[in-house]
Amino acid sequence: MKPFAHTSAGSVEEAVQLLAKYEGKAKLNAGGTDLLGVLKDRVLPDYPEAIINIKTIPGLNTIEECEEGISIGALTTLVDIITSPLIEKYCPLLKEAAVTVAFPQIRNIATIGGNLCQDTRCWYYRYPDKIGGMIDCFRKGGKRCPAVSGENQYHALMGAKQCFAVCPSDTAIALTALGATFTAVGAESIRTLPVNEFYTPLGNVLTPGEMITAIYIPKPSPVAGQKFLKFTLRKPIDFAIVSVASIITLDQGICTGARIVLGAVAHTPVRVLKAEEFLKGKELSEEIVAEAAEFALAKAKPLSKNAYKLEIAKTLVKRAVRGDSS
Amino acid sequence: MTPTHEIPSHPTITFTVNGEACSFIMGDGSHELPPSYTLAQTLRERLGLTGTKISCDHGACGCCTVLMDGKAVLSCMLLTVECEGKEITTIEGLGNPVTGAIDPLQQAFIDNTAFQCGFCTPGIIMSAKALLNENPSPTVEDVKEALAGNFCRCISHYHVLDAVIATVKKGGE
Amino acid sequence: MKEYRFIGKSTPRKDALDIVTGRTKFINDLTVPNMLYGKVLRSPLPHALIKNIDTGEAMRLPGVKAVLTYKDVPDWMGGLPLHVRILDSKVRYVGDAVALVAAETEDIGEEALRLIKVEYESLPAVYDVEEAIQPGAPQLYEQFPGNVLPQGIPAFGPHSLRELVIGDLEKGREEADFIVEGSYAYENIPNPLPPESPGAIAAWEGTDTLNVWSASQGPHMIKVSLQRRMGSINLHSMGTPVGASYGSKFMSWQYVLPAAALAKATDRPVKFCYGRSEHLAAFTVRLGSRIHGEVGIKKNGEVTFLSGDWLVNTGAFSETSQAMVAVGCGEVQLMLRCPNWSLKPKVVCTNRTASGQIRGFGGQELECALLPLLTMAMEKADIDPVNFFKRNYVKPGDGYYWRDGNWWVCRGIDYTKAMEQGAVRFGWKDKWKGWLKPSSVKGVKRRGIGVGVHGNADVGEDVSEAYVRLDPNGTATIYSGLAEHGTGQRSNICKMVAEILQLPLDRVSVTPNDSRVNPYEMGPVGSRGTYAIGSAVIAAAEDAKRQLFEQIAPKFAVKPEDLETEDGMVYVKGKPGTGIPWIKGMDYDRTVMGRGRFEPDFALPNFMMIFTEVEVDTETGKVELLRVVGATDVGQIIDPPGIVNQLNGCLGSAGIDSALFEETVIDTQLGRIMNPNMIDYKWRTFAELPEMEHVILETPIPSHRFHAIGVGEIATSPGPSAILMAVTNALGVRIHDYPLTPDKVLSALGKINTAKRRVK
Repeated sequence: MKPFAHTSAGSVEEAVQLLAKYEGKAKLNAGGTDLLGVLKDRVLPDYPEAIINIKTIPGLNTIEECEEGISIGALTTLVDIITSPLIEKYCPLLKEAAVTVAFPQIRNIATIGGNLCQDTRCWYYRYPDKIGGMIDCFRKGGKRCPAVSGENQYHALMGAKQCFAVCPSDTAIALTALGATFTAVGAESIRTLPVNEFYTPLGNVLTPGEMITAIYIPKPSPVAGQKFLKFTLRKPIDFAIVSVASIITLDQGICTGARIVLGAVAHTPVRVLKAEEFLKGKELSEEIVAEAAEFALAKAKPLSKNAYKLEIAKTLVKRAVRGDSS
Repeated sequence: MTPTHEIPSHPTITFTVNGEACSFIMGDGSHELPPSYTLAQTLRERLGLTGTKISCDHGACGCCTVLMDGKAVLSCMLLTVECEGKEITTIEGLGNPVTGAIDPLQQAFIDNTAFQCGFCTPGIIMSAKALLNENPSPTVEDVKEALAGNFCRCISHYHVLDAVIATVKKGGE
Repeated sequence: MKEYRFIGKSTPRKDALDIVTGRTKFINDLTVPNMLYGKVLRSPLPHALIKNIDTGEAMRLPGVKAVLTYKDVPDWMGGLPLHVRILDSKVRYVGDAVALVAAETEDIGEEALRLIKVEYESLPAVYDVEEAIQPGAPQLYEQFPGNVLPQGIPAFGPHSLRELVIGDLEKGREEADFIVEGSYAYENIPNPLPPESPGAIAAWEGTDTLNVWSASQGPHMIKVSLQRRMGSINLHSMGTPVGASYGSKFMSWQYVLPAAALAKATDRPVKFCYGRSEHLAAFTVRLGSRIHGEVGIKKNGEVTFLSGDWLVNTGAFSETSQAMVAVGCGEVQLMLRCPNWSLKPKVVCTNRTASGQIRGFGGQELECALLPLLTMAMEKADIDPVNFFKRNYVKPGDGYYWRDGNWWVCRGIDYTKAMEQGAVRFGWKDKWKGWLKPSSVKGVKRRGIGVGVHGNADVGEDVSEAYVRLDPNGTATIYSGLAEHGTGQRSNICKMVAEILQLPLDRVSVTPNDSRVNPYEMGPVGSRGTYAIGSAVIAAAEDAKRQLFEQIAPKFAVKPEDLETEDGMVYVKGKPGTGIPWIKGMDYDRTVMGRGRFEPDFALPNFMMIFTEVEVDTETGKVELLRVVGATDVGQIIDPPGIVNQLNGCLGSAGIDSALFEETVIDTQLGRIMNPNMIDYKWRTFAELPEMEHVILETPIPSHRFHAIGVGEIATSPGPSAILMAVTNALGVRIHDYPLTPDKVLSALGKINTAKRRVK
């Protein structure tokens, strides 16, 4: 890897001060499982001057219960989320999502904060500089997105205008269904960001001087059924082709509450309110569920090679709402 | 772009590898360890521990798996400078250092010919070792899950599963 | 059957301890004092002329010792016929080499690449094999008009097989009850992707001696093939253990020549190892294979003719594609007894990374494209594919043209029993419901079965030589240039020698793989390890034993043939009590050197059948491989765990999984490979293993000392087409486009209508 300066932060305060000092030319490193790949491939035109290790910040790796919710430190590893009794009890959906991420060695080191802030996997964006140079694209400040007329089998189905990359985070999909919020700390600010407002077409709303320190999840209704389904070519390693998170509340067979979120179809997790509304007050027959799936994907506009994702997304919505195991 | 050196994070870094303490002076000088060095690079190039393999170098194949404080991690995706105080175990560190006897897991790999080209074998053994440390009696499904990120292109998977399960059975006797 | 002491017994691999302790030194684990690192600047364009190249700034970077461009590399050539320079003034694929750098560290080398300034004149590029042969298509090489490479390969002799023209097509047409035609392809160019990327270290001694350490499946062939091309130098080739190859690292000038050029320019040893993205984007992939064909079949399953154009896409150059075409044309005759043929191959260059040799060597590529056509014919005739293959697989006494262009008559074994037992183990009869019929349906999931077959008569290809030296202390040393690339063959030749000399296995070893030490060895390719290499080693051991007995016989006052040896003792047959140790017979200051040579013989086809069962989710289009049963007959198993390992290899290295999810994805607007990493290039994981079983019969092969032939290479070959058949049957609709990813399955089911058709 090309050299960089390196420093370890002992506190959040120190980390954000360092970020401020480097004026956007430093990157935070937690698990490193995403960042190091970006650096090794020289994916971006700008190479960071410094890497700030935040694993050394104490107290950011705990999962705690408070009266109305669960608070997760941003440095909590995915394996700690998977094995947490609190997560299992209140938000099994998040566990289901976390366990689909990569494979054990990655989950042992990757953090929830890192999973939420990881860069997109778009293969144009990620193309290694070594093989003829990086590929210019809209996300890197270029004029166009080469995926639109290229190999777009893994790209966005909806909501994209200039960059068709999708949000790769599995936990973000689960957290959107759970209505989580993030705490973002900057040198002179602390913000609470709802997850559904976090992702932007080219990344996220964090300023270069901010970091996520915690994730807060309001306790969901204990009677609601939670589900996370992820479609990939292979069970381990792969990023989602499509994923769906759902929280369905039934009262005597009638749907009284529904939250359905689609993953890997857009730059952000997509909550499909129309489908949710449609389900409420209804008995979840095959026909109703199928109709809800149609509503969920009504806004999809497939590219040349990703229409199959639309079909899979509909199927996953149906299966998640029904509570199927795969 | 010149790297900034104003805030040296660890002028020296110390961790243990296979029970022995290692210290490096961090820096870009010829006898220093650059902060951009991954743990895999340090193990292979500075410590001569070439049993840890680099295949994809991007955290997607498990060939560089080592144990860090007992857990399986990918040494190609860890900066050495961030390993301060950690206990690292590599394939060379398995077995009994006093008697020189190899680990029962390694013996089971020999007995079951649980490899073909052998390039991925150290990483596979380290992943399996981490599993057995945590769960001495895993099921076949547990083993498959623990090794889900370990590449093996020759398809020695079936014999690897036999070897790990044989170790479990032997350990239970 | 004869009971052996080592042959057929499970014994630990000789190299097992080194492998499991991490002590095995692969090429990238080696360093040579004073060594530099080689790096390659790679082209951003698929087709372009280099108008200007400025290396000044790169040269000035501290730690950089050489920067080479097309203007200053030696004129050493690669390719078949020789047509590829190490660096050229023209680039022909994204990733093609533009400049070479040697530097003190890898990081410095990579930084230097970024300082080289290149001006290109971009040329139009072509990727599709048929577009490439159209008039007016971009031309990759002046000397190959229409992008068509000359056929034939000198190494296979003056009549090397260029096409398959046999019998009378018209007669075949008249005799056919059904004739089907169509165009099918196997063009997803999977990468065999051994875990160790290719690499070499080169170091010159003076100007005419070059030492090369390399990860090569045929290290001796690096010497033989390259030293003449490099100006009649003397090349010493040292082979390291190979972190797998699957054919791809056989005679790889692609990494040896750049290392040698940099070493020459700097007068220092240079290591040049591909990185993983380079391995995936700029090293060799499978051939692209497309057939426009026609086949006639009788109601009884007899094939009356087969005709077609076989278009072979070799990418930016031919490593050895004409050889693969020759072998492919041979292999298709083993799979399919047919009196009338007209198969016309064309090897075509296009602007993507080159195709090279991979296990299956032409035959897999040809048959994977051909099988959809054959299955349509079988469907018309309503014949069960197992019965079809049983009827049509080559039998003893049948003839075929092999790669040398000669007509060979099969004196191997009849594989009908293996097919039948495989079918029984798989439960074929119960599951086979007819063409386009699933074996079972449960909700949205449909299961189907398929079968494929492949054979190769290369088990006896090419020459091998070996020596066996006996030392007075009761040890035997095998001198062989055999590379260990995962098959355990170096252990297996020890087992063969131990068996002949009745020595404990730990008293038999093999010399380091060094061309200064060992005689000629082609290498363990084409499943030739057991039969060809094994026979050379066996002959050397027998020769050594004969000499040993000749030396010792006078001491017993008997004839040499009256002696026997066991565990380093010699005794008169039937009188073990008369034994003396070798040292007493030979004296401490004598050794015995036995010599063995194997001469080529193409009369022994091997055989592999693969049965597969899949489950297709008709809502998501996902295909899951549930079960694989392999069936073969190897005469005699040498090493039971070794052969099972090799047959299990049918999934990976561009085998079965190349029908399921493996593919190299190219953006044809940019000419770039989009998945040069191990997340986006899909490979099989521990988490998703199908049930796997093999039926391995042992019908003795008389012409081998232990009655054995090899089969490892072809384990991958029958699988992909078996998967197509299984999914076609599961869905009840024909699907032909490898790999069967969800988009294609949903498209075949009519659920989406955007999937492209690749074959025009």
